[in-house]
Amino acid sequence: MNRALYASASGMAAQQMNLDTISDNLANADVAGFKGATMAFTEIAAPGETGLGTQPLGARTIFAQGKLEKSGGAFDVAIDGPGFFVLDDGHGRRAYSRDGGFARAADGSLRNAQGWQLTGVRIPPDALSVDVDERGSVVAATPRGRQTVGHLSLAEFAAPDGLQHAGGTIFRATPACGAMRLVVPGATDGPSVKFGMLERSNVSIVEAMVQILSAQRAYEANAKGVQAADEMMRIADNLTRG
Amino acid sequence: MEAARSRLDIATENLANVSTDGFSRHDARGFLTALGVRVTAVASPTHGALRRTGRPDDLAIVGDGSFRVRDARGRVEHTRAGAFSRDRDGHLRDGADRLLLDAHGRPIVVRGDRSIQARQVGLPAGSTLESGALETSSVDQISEMIDVLTAQRSYEGAEKIVAAIDGTRQKSADDVARLK
Repeated sequence: MNRALYASASGMAAQQMNLDTISDNLANADVAGFKGATMAFTEIAAPGETGLGTQPLGARTIFAQGKLEKSGGAFDVAIDGPGFFVLDDGHGRRAYSRDGGFARAADGSLRNAQGWQLTGVRIPPDALSVDVDERGSVVAATPRGRQTVGHLSLAEFAAPDGLQHAGGTIFRATPACGAMRLVVPGATDGPSVKFGMLERSNVSIVEAMVQILSAQRAYEANAKGVQAADEMMRIADNLTRG
Repeated sequence: MEAARSRLDIATENLANVSTDGFSRHDARGFLTALGVRVTAVASPTHGALRRTGRPDDLAIVGDGSFRVRDARGRVEHTRAGAFSRDRDGHLRDGADRLLLDAHGRPIVVRGDRSIQARQVGLPAGSTLESGALETSSVDQISEMIDVLTAQRSYEGAEKIVAAIDGTRQKSADDVARLK
């Protein structure tokens, strides 16, 4: 019965983690550039016929493309295809994100909601409007005429699964993801950037709701397993009393 | 009572893995021996349904067969869990960091968008590979719940029988003592 007890307990713990991941997805379903995650589990193998329950392997990010949507922001850009925007977090460390909702700061840089700077672009103070073409060239219209004020390069990794999810839409490079490669958008088989658009999160709310329901039922079923094992132990205890 | 206990162990183990992709459930098989009923677990031949994941490196086997994976210590194991991700050298690794091997036992390398073919990983003829999908656990929650309840009830039933046998033995012991 101990075996059943611990197998059920591991199942409850697994469903709890599953719920945490799904609720994080759901909470960020409206965040531009957010990538959903899914928990992976594996059986705890044991010598003999059956295993000893389940154990988590960790959350895996789904880098699938989100839908592009027209937005009202003056400096919104979306990536169509793989790749990340390269951000500077103010402490000299690089961060990567697909959230293209930028705002113009007083010093002319483009910054995301956290205030982290998009590298490679500086808007002149007298710029009237800004445009970004498919190849990532940032062109500002100023009273002196149109001038190119920067280039958007996108970061690509050999193994994006090795990126560390640093909360929200931010990722950090690790040794596991391979060297960062800067690519110029707009190549025939590469990513392109779309100005005036945002990438929606790739989380499907309907799917997440269904996942929550099934995780909840699985949790209950495992709780029943704990209950049954406990009940059987009680019966075994009573045997000796007579 | 032992049989009911084994049955509960198997059902709860299955239930615990209801969200484990590629997990094959175990069936409880009971048989009579000289010492009563014994229940053992047999790997069930049923496969789980496919679930789209949106990750191109996820692989699901449609049909029979399994993936061969090698861990860091060189041990080769078989699995139907196809949740792979690409490492920086282009090898496919599963969640436990094991390398996916091809039909000749060499690690598979993927480049670009090239997908992996069924014969490349040594699947038997007739089986195909679906990429961007995973095989879900083959555990059916409802039938496992029924098994948990059945195990519990048969345990209770067996307990009643043990108590009854104990009762008759006690009675005969008492009667023998009274005869003296």
